[in-house]
Amino acid sequence: MDTPTAILASAAAALRENPFDDISYRTLGDAVGVSERTVYRHFPTRSHLLEGVAGWIESTEFPLPPFVTIDQFQDAARARFLAFDSSPAFAFVCARAASISPTGEPEPTFFTRALATMLATNHPSVNERDRRRVAAALRYFASAQFWARMRTGFEMSAPAIADVFERTVAKVLGDVLILTDTEMAGVSRRAPA
Amino acid sequence: MPATSDPDANAAGDVSRTQEAILASYAELIEELGTDDVSFRLIARRAGVGERTVFRNYATRVDLLLATAAWIESRIFPRQDSPSIFDMPLTIRAAMESYDHRPELAHVVAETTMRGVSGAAPSPRRAMLEAMLDAEIPMLDDDERRAIVAALAHLDSAATWVTFRREFGMSRRDIADAAAWAAEAVLDPIRSRVG
Repeated sequence: MDTPTAILASAAAALRENPFDDISYRTLGDAVGVSERTVYRHFPTRSHLLEGVAGWIESTEFPLPPFVTIDQFQDAARARFLAFDSSPAFAFVCARAASISPTGEPEPTFFTRALATMLATNHPSVNERDRRRVAAALRYFASAQFWARMRTGFEMSAPAIADVFERTVAKVLGDVLILTDTEMAGVSRRAPA
Repeated sequence: MPATSDPDANAAGDVSRTQEAILASYAELIEELGTDDVSFRLIARRAGVGERTVFRNYATRVDLLLATAAWIESRIFPRQDSPSIFDMPLTIRAAMESYDHRPELAHVVAETTMRGVSGAAPSPRRAMLEAMLDAEIPMLDDDERRAIVAALAHLDSAATWVTFRREFGMSRRDIADAAAWAAEAVLDPIRSRVG
């Protein structure tokens, strides 16, 4: 494991005990066997560290199940809400990192690209502007941020969060996308309007 | 400043003159320098108070950050009360445009709401949305009411602006259009039941 990855892994481990704000660069350096200076060289600000840890957590703790249909996308989102519920400290860090001012050029995450690709493949006739706003809404309601707000602002657990998510997806898809029969069955089965 | 039922706004409305000066100074410095590099000393100097005064009012950096986020929401990004569900998408459009004018501050507000128990109120407009739906569509079933309130509270927030900008690279107008459109989609099925 290279040094930056080791730092991120040890920061993630520390999150099981402490909130992110209480994790010091010195502790991280000690845990990995490098100087505090080295930690700063890899993560010049706490925003860099937060983004790094969140990226590491997303890939190791919350891997995204593959999806090529709306139905599978909803399954993937529900699986993530459940995973967030079982590691809330990790999920809140992901939600925070997705909300801060980006430290580099902002790039769409893998999740966003997968969603955009799915919509473009399944619904090539929908104009790009409509498709993009459908994608943006779906992405935002499938996010750790949505989970975080539902959990602290509405005291919901994963099944209730998934229910609100699915009702919203059904409304957002509405008549913008002409769904295939299978997708339509999937959407209406899950979220009767 | 327009009237608002936001509890955070009331909390921020209660701040003393000194606190107001401190919070406004920190907000200014965040826009100039980002959240990381702003020392209490710099905030004190900008606010024209002693460093000890800052500490006496806000013992930790997190306390100061949360108070500042609440102040920013109520002073920089206030909402008009929207008693009609038909106005809601317009309220959200206006909010997105105001976030886009002050991006650094929008990020701060978005981030503090995502911290879990040690964060800012994640859905400050929940009570207002519930009251609005109860008044307009008293017969709404509980699950649907909850889903609509939750979806609108999520859409009417800085995180919407952040996500649409960061993940989709949308322009100010596209973000405002997309967020307002999503709110329309959420409200559309119940519009005919207003009565």
